[in-house]
This record gives sequence, structure tokens and C-alpha cells, in this order.
Amino acid sequence: MVALKIENVWKYYGDTVAVRDLNLECDDGEFVCMLGPSGCGKSSTMRMLAGLEHISSGDILLGDRRINDLAPKDRDIAMVFENYALYPHKTVAENIGNPLRLAKVAKHEIRKRVQEAADLLEIGHLLDRKPMELSGGQKQRVAIGRVIVRQPQIYLFDEPIAHLDAKLRARMRSELKHLQQHLGVTTVYVTHDQLEALSMADRIAVMHEGVLQQFGTPAEIYSNPVNAWVAGFVGEPAMNLIACSCAQEGNAVNLMHDGFKITLDDRLAKAALSSGERDLRLGVRPENVRLTADPDDGMIAGTVFSRQLLGSDMLVDVLSGGDHIRVRTDPKSPFEADEKCYVSFDFDHAHLFSAETGISIV
Amino acid sequence: MLIEAKTSFVTVDEDHDYAARTIDYEPENRNTAPRRRFHLYLMLPAIITLAAITIYPFFWLIYMSLHKIVIGGADRWVGLKNYAGLLTDEKNIQGWLMLAKYSGLCLSFEILVGVLLAVILNNSRFEKVLVTLVLMPMMMSPVVAGLLWYYLYNGTFGWYHWLFQSLGLLGETSILADYGSALWGVVIVDIWQWTPLITLIALAGLKRVPRDQVEAHMVDGAGPIRNFFAISLPNIYPFLLIGILLRFMDNFRFIDHILAMTGGGPGNSTRILPVYLFDVSFQFFKLGRGAAIAFTLLAVTIILGMILVRVFENPAQKKALANQKD
Repeated sequence: MVALKIENVWKYYGDTVAVRDLNLECDDGEFVCMLGPSGCGKSSTMRMLAGLEHISSGDILLGDRRINDLAPKDRDIAMVFENYALYPHKTVAENIGNPLRLAKVAKHEIRKRVQEAADLLEIGHLLDRKPMELSGGQKQRVAIGRVIVRQPQIYLFDEPIAHLDAKLRARMRSELKHLQQHLGVTTVYVTHDQLEALSMADRIAVMHEGVLQQFGTPAEIYSNPVNAWVAGFVGEPAMNLIACSCAQEGNAVNLMHDGFKITLDDRLAKAALSSGERDLRLGVRPENVRLTADPDDGMIAGTVFSRQLLGSDMLVDVLSGGDHIRVRTDPKSPFEADEKCYVSFDFDHAHLFSAETGISIV
Repeated sequence: MLIEAKTSFVTVDEDHDYAARTIDYEPENRNTAPRRRFHLYLMLPAIITLAAITIYPFFWLIYMSLHKIVIGGADRWVGLKNYAGLLTDEKNIQGWLMLAKYSGLCLSFEILVGVLLAVILNNSRFEKVLVTLVLMPMMMSPVVAGLLWYYLYNGTFGWYHWLFQSLGLLGETSILADYGSALWGVVIVDIWQWTPLITLIALAGLKRVPRDQVEAHMVDGAGPIRNFFAISLPNIYPFLLIGILLRFMDNFRFIDHILAMTGGGPGNSTRILPVYLFDVSFQFFKLGRGAAIAFTLLAVTIILGMILVRVFENPAQKKALANQKD
């Protein structure tokens, strides 16, 4: 249980840069998610932490120990792999106890700790089975068991629940979160699923194309994304990002779009003016868009393109001026496809991004 | 014919005996007696060919082993006399012992060196080139390999003879001329020629060792050697079994290089059973006695092969192998 520090870490594969100048600090006992699409460098970073990949440059420190040149076995880390990586010729008990056996822990002690870990994960009755006799969820628990049976300095999770079905995934999210809080071990968790990151992490590191985009609490990432890419990646359904041009008319600051023209409120107008950018992207989450049948001042006219029932909500896709605007609304929403409708934005929760750089203006 | 009948039975006159029979025919019912007979007819050419090339010679071998074969004359029934003779034939018994020693030495060295080479070659920098080089001995005809080494061992101009002698490992006599070292001489050739096969098989197995298991084991706290024994070896085990089986059967059958190098000598020091079998049958033309030796050799090969498979193959590994194929 120590803090983890990643300092100016680069990773090259030949000429390809996988990780670009990464700096990250995880506090003692913190649950940090590395979030990003495939190929963003999150897995490379995790593999460098585990010692499975050479660090091209920079330092990784566990506590005050530099671990760059240590072999995986000397790093005192435990890792759950995406495909569980269980040993098929060993029983569940042997799988879980393997790290202890390699550490030459006494046999009765191994048995005791394996039993404890298995009980914690509710797989105590499976100890004599072989991995191929287990279901996906059970295999996953065994893989976690192999990790928690030790008291390492840091846990690494590499998309551990990506292959489970949706229902089980939801349950494992809450269990993993609970387990991590209970054990209090610093944890780095890699995932491409923003929902996993938002629901479990203390802090999220969003990565894209090898670059760390934003590092903050889930609430920060969700409500104050630093750029349009983070804004679009985090949140489901994704944030509306509408390209507009900004123009001042008298006192009012307007956003011009092929389908509409809207006047910004003071907060957004001030930011738009001070940025000096002309081409902007308006970012509004679907839950911050209102949908009505009757037109009112400053509303945007459009037609319903499609509607999807999400259970507790209805997602309505409105087409306006060639752009799709996603609206999260009441499941009893009466709008049908091709129907005319009007939308308005909640400016208190809206964002403006530079169209050129994608950086958040407000 | 039946298929034709099936499609056209509507138009066939129902009074006709043949048509009446085929009307009962259900397309779903594939295992009816006429259908099965029809299948048998289709397979008959293959069965006859197979019988001619394997089954007939096999029974002819048994026939020979029970007779005194007189070339150009009538064969005389001797019952189990040929077999009984083997029990008191000292050269036969010695041939068996020598065969066991020869096969044991070849196999153990080939497995050890072969797996070691495979581990070294796997993911090495010039893997493709090196594997091709390593495989070269295997592509050579065994007789040629035997002759090649015969010259390398030669007491007057043999390169290896000179090398070993300079190192003080060898006296004046050449390797193949010495009673003590001649068997080693032929064993080395077999190892040289057939280790690549084991390397190839082990390499194929190593390629299929799941990387995440190796990595998980490293993170669990294992070094490379433990990693090999705990993860790689159980994974390549089924592949190695095939290699062991192939090589063990070859050792019991292939004597090309021995015939080319020593012909069983000096004395009887390289006269392993198959060589003795060759001598009895084709040097002394005691075909009946030879057939008896051949039959016992065949029986022992089959039995040992079956035991090998039983002992080495356990169900878990079989399943693990099947899982890998997914």
C-alpha cells in the first residue's frame, strides 16, 4: 500500500509512440481508472507498471522505490488480466494460491489464506474444480482471488470484467468497488468502458492517442471536461457537440448554425467573447436538452429522426440543419419519427469548445 | 440406383416389385440395410487396396513365422518353433537390450536438446533463419547422414576423429571401431538428425503457450525457469508426446545409418534388434526366424506405443489442448 508516481513516461514500439510523456500520481489507497479507447496507451501503461513491457523513458515509482528495471516478480504487484489468465492444469485453489506458493509461504498458511479469499469472493465451494469447469463470472472471481490472496503494494486490473455479460458486469462493478475499499490497496484499473470508470474510480485518467487528456474525479470529468474529445467520450448517450460560428450582434452574442441561431446567456457569451474564437462547438449533454411540441423564444426547430427507449428514459434523435441532437427525455414522450418538434438547451450545463483545438472555453 | 429410384418413384408402376420396395424408402432413414450395403460397395475398392497392401503382408508375416521357409521349395509347418528359438538366441536377447539402450539414449537426448533448442530459438532475433538451419539435418537421407558421419569419424582423415583426439577424449582407434564407443557413434548421428524434429514440434507447442498465462505467472512471482516448468512445459506436453511416440517408433524401425556406418559391428556392439533382424532375414535368409523376430518387434512396438499414450496423456491436458484450438 503505497502511492504510485509515473513521471515523464514514454513508450515507443519502433517508431510508433504508444504513450507520450505521461505524468500521473495515485495516492495511497486510491482507486484510479485509466480510461480510453483501444490503442490509447492505457494498456501499455499498465504493462509498464507490471514490468511486462520495457519503459522507453521516464520513471515509475512505487512509494520511493524506482521500479523501472525490476523484474515483475520483484515489484510486489498483483494483476488481473483481461482473459483471466488462469492456469488450466491447476485447480482453483492452486490457481489462487500460486503467488503464495511461489513466495514459499507455508502450506497451511496458503490453505488458510486461499480459503479466506475464496470465501470473500463466494467461490469457496469451487476450490477443487479446474478452470475449464467454471463459468466466465467464476473464472473472473478466481482471477481476482489470485490477486487479493497477497498483500501487494498495488493492484492492477486490466479490463477484468470486459468479457462478462451486462448484468454480471453491473454486479461486479459494485463488488470490486466494495472490495477495493475494504482492502484499501492502491489500485490502477484499465478500461475502455466509461460507465465502469465513472462508477468505480476515485479518480479517472482519460487517455487518447497516448496522451493523458484529463485526470480528475468522475464528477469533474463528467461535468467539466477539459476538451471536446473527453466530453464526447465520457457519458452515455454521448454529449451533443454542435459546430457553430459565434457572432456578436449589439449586446447579444449569437451562435449561428445552418438550422438555427441561438443567443447565449451571460456566462457563455462572456467566455466566447474573451476566447476570441469564431468557430466554436457547443456541447450539451442529452439530459440538458428540452424537447417540446410548441415553439417558444430561442427554440430550435427540427424533426424527430429516431427514438430509442432506454428503459427509464427515452432517447430522441432530433435532426436540425443537418446535425443530430440527442435528447434524453421522458419514456412517455409522445414524439414519433418525422414529427416536427422544438428543442432548447440548458445553458447552465452547456460547454463551449474551440472548434480548432477542441479545448474547453467554458 | 436407390437415389434415382427415390426421386422417380411417383412415376414408377406400383405393381413392379422393385418400385414397391423403393416406395418404403424414407430419405430420413439413412441406415437401412440396402443403404448400408450400397455404402459397402462404394468402399470396396478402398478396402481391397488396403487389404492388399497392409492386411495381406501382415498375415503373410504371421504365416512365415510359423513355417520354415525354403526358397524355391515347399514351406514346412514348424508351429511356434521359430519363436521358441528366439528365447535361447543370445544375439536376439542382446539385440533387445541394445535396442532399449539405443532408443533410451536417443530419445532422452533428443527431448532434452530439442526442447532446449526450441526455447532458445523461440522469439529469438533470427528465428526463421535459425530454424531453417537447425532443420537441415532432418532433410538429409538417413543413409547419407550415416555416410557423412562415417567419414567424420574416420580414423585417418575424419575431422571429428581428429578433434576428439586432440581434445584427449579418444585414443588411437576411431569411434566406430571401438567396442565401447561405437553405439555412442550411431546414437550421436540419430540425435544429430532427429533432434530438429523435436525442436520443430516443441517450437510449435511453445507458439501456442498463452502469453497471458506466462505473464500472470511472472506477476505472481516466478522467474523464467519456474515459468518454463510451470506454464510452458504443461502446455507443450501434448505436442512432445507426439514427438516421443514418433521417435520411439522410428528408433525401433530405422537402421539405415547403422547399416551404412557399422553394419552392426564392431563385433555385435551396434547390432540392435532391427539390425539383427535384417541379418537373419537377408544375410542368412532364415526367413521364418526373421519373421518371428519381426512379429515380436511389431507387437512390442504397438504395446509400448499404447502404454506411452496411456501414461502420458491425462484427460486434463487433452481438454486443455482442445481449448487452445478454439
